[in-house]
Amino acid sequence: MLAITNGKIYTITQGILERGTILVEGGKITALGHAVPTPAGATVIDAAGNYVFPGFIEAHGHAGVMEDGFGWEGRDGNELTDPVTAHVRAIDAINPEEQGLRDAVEGGITTLWSTPGSGNVIGGDGVTIKAHGRGRTVDEMVIKYPSGLKAAMGENPKRVYGNQKKMPSTRMGVAGIMREALTKGQNYLQKLNKAAADPDKPFERDLRMESIARVLKREIPLRVHAHRADDIMTAIRIAEEFDIEITIEHCTEGHKVADELARRGIRVVVGPSLTARSKVELRDRTLLTPALLAKAGVQFAIMTDHPVIPIQYLPFATALAVREGLDEETALRAITINPATIAGVADRVGSLEAGKDADIVLWSGHPLELMSRVLLTIVDGQVVYRREGE
Amino acid sequence: MRAITNGRIHTITNGIIEHGTILMDAGRIVALGEKMDLPSEVEVLDVGGAWVFPGFIDAHTHLAVGGEGFGMGHADYNEAFDPVTPHLRASDAVFPEDVGLQDALSVGVSTVGITPGSANVIGGQGVVIKTHGRTVSEMTLGPWGMKAALGENPKMVYSEQKKMPATRLGVAAVLRDQLVKAQNYLEKAKKAAGNPEKMPERDLKMEALSQVIQGELPLRVHAHRADDIMTALRVADEFGLRVIIEHCTEGHKVTRELARRGVLCTVGPTFGARSKVEVREKSWRTPACLAEAGVKFAIVSDHPFSNVRFLPLFAGLAVREGLPEETALRAITIDAAALVGQESRVGSLEVGKDADLVVLSGHPFSLKTRTLYTVVNGELGYRG
Repeated sequence: MLAITNGKIYTITQGILERGTILVEGGKITALGHAVPTPAGATVIDAAGNYVFPGFIEAHGHAGVMEDGFGWEGRDGNELTDPVTAHVRAIDAINPEEQGLRDAVEGGITTLWSTPGSGNVIGGDGVTIKAHGRGRTVDEMVIKYPSGLKAAMGENPKRVYGNQKKMPSTRMGVAGIMREALTKGQNYLQKLNKAAADPDKPFERDLRMESIARVLKREIPLRVHAHRADDIMTAIRIAEEFDIEITIEHCTEGHKVADELARRGIRVVVGPSLTARSKVELRDRTLLTPALLAKAGVQFAIMTDHPVIPIQYLPFATALAVREGLDEETALRAITINPATIAGVADRVGSLEAGKDADIVLWSGHPLELMSRVLLTIVDGQVVYRREGE
Repeated sequence: MRAITNGRIHTITNGIIEHGTILMDAGRIVALGEKMDLPSEVEVLDVGGAWVFPGFIDAHTHLAVGGEGFGMGHADYNEAFDPVTPHLRASDAVFPEDVGLQDALSVGVSTVGITPGSANVIGGQGVVIKTHGRTVSEMTLGPWGMKAALGENPKMVYSEQKKMPATRLGVAAVLRDQLVKAQNYLEKAKKAAGNPEKMPERDLKMEALSQVIQGELPLRVHAHRADDIMTALRVADEFGLRVIIEHCTEGHKVTRELARRGVLCTVGPTFGARSKVEVREKSWRTPACLAEAGVKFAIVSDHPFSNVRFLPLFAGLAVREGLPEETALRAITIDAAALVGQESRVGSLEVGKDADLVVLSGHPFSLKTRTLYTVVNGELGYRG
């Protein structure tokens, strides 16, 4: 048993506890509060003067899939040979020894949704993992698979396939291919149902369609990369046509259609906000977007899109949104409970509560201050990082 | 005349003046101090105790030549079809309305070095400009130096084109080859002794490189890995060149070699991902290690590779990893001015220097700090 005592505990969902205690056993939080006695025999971590937070969550990134410190050898995020690759899975490209995952843990980020890139209209299945498993294999790191099928609108698929002289080379083409793939999925489901009714009917499995069928059955969301407001609205239009759940990923011009998003209860993931405007579709990017989405009542998370922005700068990006008017409480939710909800793992991570996974980070100061550092990271009750000298 | 009053003035070179006043005229600082009788015609800006710093300097960027917001197809900094292009000039590609320059102004960056990219072994001439102005001529402060590049970038570009250089051997050989050609060109000109019949035919590439051979322009060598840094120093020693190391990612491994030669460096972009093998060991510890060894350096964004909007925060991240705060401030002010050869005009708040300053709501290394005003050449370039 582990007892973390005397820290300033930010539970996220149940307020702040000054000088509280957290008890951990079997990888879970078993108790937390002011008046929790430390059981005899417990290993005590004295967090006096420290800030205690749930491990932060990267709502959208490519850690493990796009490997830091490599050239093409480590780049496994975009299978740019076919605009519809619904059957590819991020889980098959994750290297548990990747440096970005190490950076995550050292930066206080313990859970992430790692996804295929945005080169394809339908890019493949993402996976929600712990940044550090108890073992050394990806299977031990997984919290939820599949957890969202990646899709992309706008410049990226246009550029990739336009260069290959293939469809899609326009936004019309992108939407056309997406609708076509979803229609094929509907046909597949119909055949599947007919075959289930009559076992003598021949039925051929199709991995691409199986993946799309999960979206059509609303088992997982279609997570749609969309920067410009018009691309966001195209994604919404398609979602309504096919009655599927979507999230908007990047949502760069989300502030222009915040009411449309709020009205439909669509969840979004904002970022990466720290790069240059490297594409035309990023032209109107502003650090104000999170504050404006919050004002409109849109539930959102903040992403680094690692390695576009290295994952350890997730609190840095969040602090800048606060500087531009986002309230601190909403900002902290955007890197904890909100991404947990979007990934469908809020029952396990994203806040400090009894019964949840013991993913706990000790900070030297408030994590939204530049000079604060991570002193200790605990994942599933195990210390996976300890700052030198601590 | 314009005056900033009631500022917490960080001069950088002469300490801090609490409740200080800065008087500006014709683009220069004409007086600064604690108490001052101001002439009646002065336009006064009372900053209410806010922090005042000299305009920050980003010594290595691709601002205004990067086509930001127009797509990478509009980028104008790599002419990647000939590994030797010393005759190219960044000033010919500067777009004064570039959105990145606005970003720079919005955080108080008033002077930037703009350089050709690192695709070529010899990439061309950089330029040092103010971030506020309408034409490149009126914005220009002076030359930045001759850009050269070692390591992966030229290798990658030309091996794909099935041309030399495809290896580090090739990169160094191409560089030496051109320097020898420039020496020969100069020798011919010298032998001609003013006789126009004997003068070598004009050659823009060789004219540009001659300035490097004669020490008029520094050779500014893109080098990440320690071995590439050492190759740059070896070539500089062989040809007696003034060399500056750009990026200097593994500089912490060869601090003694840099310090011994008094070589200046720019460090960055440290903020981005380890996007190539040669930046695998990038670390915010590098500035602290260089400072400890006595190497003078600037912290740079290499915009767009990390964003100029966060230049002061990058200096802050180096402080978090052990760099003394004063050295960090110098690395984006007076030391950065030295790195672009303009320390007599910018980089500190002193009488006689350009009236470039930034008024901040708090410490530049805090994530909460906002820019209130940026002044360039005595003119208001940005208001927060």
